[in-house]
Amino acid sequence: MKPNRAVSFNIVWQACIGCSACVAVCPQPEPFVSPHDTIALNTPCSIACMRCVEVCPTSAITFERLAGVDIDTMAAKSPLGVGERAG
Amino acid sequence: MSVYDVDVLVVGSGPAGATTARYAAQGGLRVLLVDKKSELGTPVECSGALSEHALEDGGVPIDEEYILAPAYGFLTYAAGGEQIRHDYRSYGRAKPLGYVVDRKRFDRYLSSLASLAGVEVWLRSRMRGYIIEDGHIYARIERLGSEQTVRARVIVGADGVMSHVALWAGLSPAIRLQDMASCLQYIVNNVETEGLLEIIVGQAHAPGGYAWVFPKGGGYAEVGLGVIRTMTEYDARCHLERFMSQSFMRDRFAHANILEVQGGGVPLAAPLKKLVADHIMLVGDAGRHVNPLTGGGLHTSLRGGRIAGEYLASLGGDLVGEMGQLQGYQEQWFAQMGDDLTSLYRQRVAIFKERDIERQDALLFETLGQYFNPHSKYRKV
Repeated sequence: MKPNRAVSFNIVWQACIGCSACVAVCPQPEPFVSPHDTIALNTPCSIACMRCVEVCPTSAITFERLAGVDIDTMAAKSPLGVGERAG
Repeated sequence: MSVYDVDVLVVGSGPAGATTARYAAQGGLRVLLVDKKSELGTPVECSGALSEHALEDGGVPIDEEYILAPAYGFLTYAAGGEQIRHDYRSYGRAKPLGYVVDRKRFDRYLSSLASLAGVEVWLRSRMRGYIIEDGHIYARIERLGSEQTVRARVIVGADGVMSHVALWAGLSPAIRLQDMASCLQYIVNNVETEGLLEIIVGQAHAPGGYAWVFPKGGGYAEVGLGVIRTMTEYDARCHLERFMSQSFMRDRFAHANILEVQGGGVPLAAPLKKLVADHIMLVGDAGRHVNPLTGGGLHTSLRGGRIAGEYLASLGGDLVGEMGQLQGYQEQWFAQMGDDLTSLYRQRVAIFKERDIERQDALLFETLGQYFNPHSKYRKV
């Protein structure tokens, strides 16, 4: 699921375990981080490779497409519902 | 603003950084070790298993202070439950082969060793960037909220798999998702262990990785797994829940209560080809110094940290930090460890290239079973 436009990430803090795996796989040329060492929040990401969303062990990262009205969440795949957020 | 002057600035006080700093300081260099955290080793992102060799290689005394449980060998399970047992007690070794350590205490212990060797340690200090000028590297460090400039000959990036130092130095191409294990583990009670590190392979349990059950001391165990997300549509947590409730091992977890949740990304990549730039060196996860077959990073970090620290110490007063001078570290690292890690990476890639899941599972089972054999040439990696 790779959106064709810029996205912006958010974190479900109750699911995040603070491991920074999301930052580790990020291909941005400069550290694309929040003050909590997660992927940068509410900041446009034009690469939109979604590696950060996928690598998260607890599916704590949600995202929205900036130009569209749809809000997707990879985490919806988890039967446990961790990280799930329907917009 | 005052400038703090040292020979070596080490960024990140994990096992690799603290060991590098300790050996560099023992050689007489002025070393500053900074870490962004207020409590080292947290959040825990690691199972904490390491061999006695690893401690020897890193010059770390065996100490109750950080040990949670002894490990006497390995028990490797195939997807369906078949076992390969390498219990070194039955090979006549009475003392532990290794230990499961408390990462918080272990990292604190290593930082303490470094400071006792003369290293200055700053916690809650985050590096914000650097410039290179007049043969020195100037780091901007935000320490307890105020900015401080540190002048050094070399900055050692020991800042983990999400290394900013590596990124700024242009040494770190983005790690591929298929080379990154997404790991989660629970510390649990009511799960019996027998002093062995148990490894469970199988696409059904942990696609692209494996599951583990390790003794954690005090009647606790840790149950975890790592998956490669390009090989599964579910996250690590989902696989772990399924492993504990549906696998052949489920009865063992029937009364387990989850007491802690830990996890992280483990690079199962080939080591970076370039570990040095002008005034920059990389050690530990920052250089992807992780065993790509087992995901173990403690031994590689301790040993690599020692190679880096001893190399810096050997330069002594001649340390200028240009890339040409630091190249020697990279050569030594590859000769002593890197070539073996690269070969293990190739083995891992070959295993997961196998499309037939049964054959893939069997290959991984055999390879890991062999790996933990007392005669394995890699067991000390």
